[in-house]
Amino acid sequence: MSGVIDVSRRVPDRLTLLQKLYLPEILRGMWVTLRHLVRNLTNMKGMPTIQYPDQKRNYSARFRGKHILKAREDGTLKCVACYMCQQACPAECITIVAGEHPKIAYEKYPVVFDIDMMRCVFCGFCVDACPKDAIWMTRNYEMAFFTREDAVFSIDRLRETKEEVAQHGYGYRPYYPGDGTTPPSDASLLPVLAGSGERDRLREQGIALADRGPGQGPLNAPSQAQKAFTA
Amino acid sequence: MTLGVATGAALSPAAERVRERLSASPVAGRSEVADLDLPTIEVAAEGWPALARFLRDDPGCRYDLFLDLCGVDNLRRPGKKTRFEAVVHLHSLSRNEHVRVRVLLADAEKPRLPSVCDVYPASNWFEREAYDLFGFDVTGHPNLHRILCHDAFVGHPLRKDYAPGQRWFYAEEDARMPEWSKNTDERAGHFETQTISIGPSHPATHGIIHLVARLDGEKIVRAETMIGYLHRCFEKMAETHHWNQIVPYTDRLNYVSAMLNGVGYVRTVEKMLGVEVPDRGRLVRTILSEFTRIMDHCVCIGANMVDIGALTNFIYLYQNRENIYDLLEACCGARLTVSYVRVGGLAVDVPDDFVPRCRALLDSIPGFLDDVEKLVTNNRIVRNRLSGTGIVTKEQAIAWGMTGPMLRASGVAYDVRRARPYDFYDKFDWDVPIAQDGDNFARYLVRLEEMRQSLKIIRQALEIFPAKGPVNSDDWRVVLPPKDAVYHDMESLIYHFKLTMEGIRVPAGERYEWIEGANGELGFYAVSDGRGGPYRLKVRPPCFPNMAAFEHIVVGGTVSDAIATLGTLNVIAGELDR
Repeated sequence: MSGVIDVSRRVPDRLTLLQKLYLPEILRGMWVTLRHLVRNLTNMKGMPTIQYPDQKRNYSARFRGKHILKAREDGTLKCVACYMCQQACPAECITIVAGEHPKIAYEKYPVVFDIDMMRCVFCGFCVDACPKDAIWMTRNYEMAFFTREDAVFSIDRLRETKEEVAQHGYGYRPYYPGDGTTPPSDASLLPVLAGSGERDRLREQGIALADRGPGQGPLNAPSQAQKAFTA
Repeated sequence: MTLGVATGAALSPAAERVRERLSASPVAGRSEVADLDLPTIEVAAEGWPALARFLRDDPGCRYDLFLDLCGVDNLRRPGKKTRFEAVVHLHSLSRNEHVRVRVLLADAEKPRLPSVCDVYPASNWFEREAYDLFGFDVTGHPNLHRILCHDAFVGHPLRKDYAPGQRWFYAEEDARMPEWSKNTDERAGHFETQTISIGPSHPATHGIIHLVARLDGEKIVRAETMIGYLHRCFEKMAETHHWNQIVPYTDRLNYVSAMLNGVGYVRTVEKMLGVEVPDRGRLVRTILSEFTRIMDHCVCIGANMVDIGALTNFIYLYQNRENIYDLLEACCGARLTVSYVRVGGLAVDVPDDFVPRCRALLDSIPGFLDDVEKLVTNNRIVRNRLSGTGIVTKEQAIAWGMTGPMLRASGVAYDVRRARPYDFYDKFDWDVPIAQDGDNFARYLVRLEEMRQSLKIIRQALEIFPAKGPVNSDDWRVVLPPKDAVYHDMESLIYHFKLTMEGIRVPAGERYEWIEGANGELGFYAVSDGRGGPYRLKVRPPCFPNMAAFEHIVVGGTVSDAIATLGTLNVIAGELDR
């Protein structure tokens, strides 16, 4: 805590004759600008302006740009169409239609996953909301389109591609390398499935429960990642 | 807490004092005092003007600063006395206290609210807003027209029975011009006066603001400001979203200092929940808020100088802003609309190089400020343009409900960070800059000094900044659990699911929390009915009362003075129009 200072006392009420003459003040002002000019000319690399689009701004690894949908190792989307991102979105720009996945371990998948980039405010709430590590953001901020229909990105434009990541790099995501987070394994099932009698129902329908990810134990056993977490 | 004075329930000392004073008021026996987060006086509409006068003039009250008036529709809140109420927040500068007045409006269809414009000139626009958004019939108001919604709008959007999805189209012929502007045969001396429109789309209006001015030669003899061009009814949108989802919307209030809005908003919700944010999280908020304040003042001074023809300063000041944006982007991934805060903490911890980056900024900013000072402070043209123009006296500033640099430049040392220190502001050594003249130049000087004081605050905050530690509260009913837990632990996933799908459950009640925004007191009044989102959320935008005074300040000056004054008012349309 400290006091109150009166700034009007700091500057003289009246200008001196020299200041009133104006010319000396012009020269003093020009000296300031000249200094900046010389500094910029002698240090062109340190100049704050960049020659966009030839030169791109270097954004941080947290930049919130275009979204990508992450895929499992077998190429299917990690998304299980749980609607959490759609619900969390403050701009209501995500549309999901869920379908039943033929592979029992995946259960659900998004038949439609649209993001309306004209509505999106790039707040990153969808990334925070995803429980399956399925949606990340990139540093891609160049998304111009000619029509409104073009602005609605569907799965084929949202699915992660190597080229896009190589060109722009990952942006805002649920965890960063080195922060100790273990991503969910590809085929881990929600534990709730195990004790719910769902298995019996499925078996009665003749669905082969063996069709799970390779190397997985029985349904109710904890996954490798779960073991690592509880250890 | 229920309202009950007659029962003699124990009140806090502040509320007890208010109750004691009220026994001498003209509404004694017809008002009640409750002890909520603020002492709350409840009065029927008929008694409100008399009570307002008493609260302003009584030596034991002296609530001289009118902060906010907002409506609340209790249609979906059972057990309330009336459907509509007007909630007023007042502040006493001499006693440094806030008080809330709840004016109960009897009629459910056409609620009548007597105007208190003659007591508090600042209430003028707030009453118009209540008329516009709630349909309050403000009796005795000098200029009762819509203010935020356009003139072809049907209905009152903040009433609970108004469906939010409706669209009303606005055509040119619907545009309202003030009555007095239609009358053209006024003469002054040998000149015929003329009426001009400055704006809505005009480079000098900083956003879309419409000033209708009657000129006698080059002098403005009468003016009226028309706003609302950027209105999107933030408050209605807040009612249809969860508590956390409102954070991105607050970014767009004062988009020049987005971080401050978010901090002000989440503090309100945290107080309602009783959640404590760890020191590290609060310090990050403090540091970035102060950087944001610097940025806001840089934009204000820079743009103001451009308006009066001094372009170079703009470049030097914007360099600071650019560098601060880089820091914000490294923390949260966006430059302008940061959305960095969450109820209970931050979206993500700061990067490892946060402290060195802040220190680098602390080293670079003063150089630019010095350059600007060299170019501007003793420049004769700037002095001629700013000194003695746009004068607001101390009494006027208080009457018009001004806060922040506007009020301080008129000689009142009211700064929320000092008057009611939050976070760590009472631990830092810093000064509140004030000036006496109340003119445009004084406002420039105050802002310039405030930037240096902010640097001082940041420097001290970095001294006590813990190198490690949580930034978020560990209450998983409020803050999303860490991702590692969500991926692998059922219970965490359930918390995550409940929070995402249902939102934070804020206990029913109400709260007014205020912080020092870049333009003045930024207050959020939130009402919760226990759901995942607010029942009613009112933002008290600091530049709203400033702008309301604009049409009075400019009278007597020239058009070019009005432009300079508009610059120092630092009106941000996103916050003004909400």
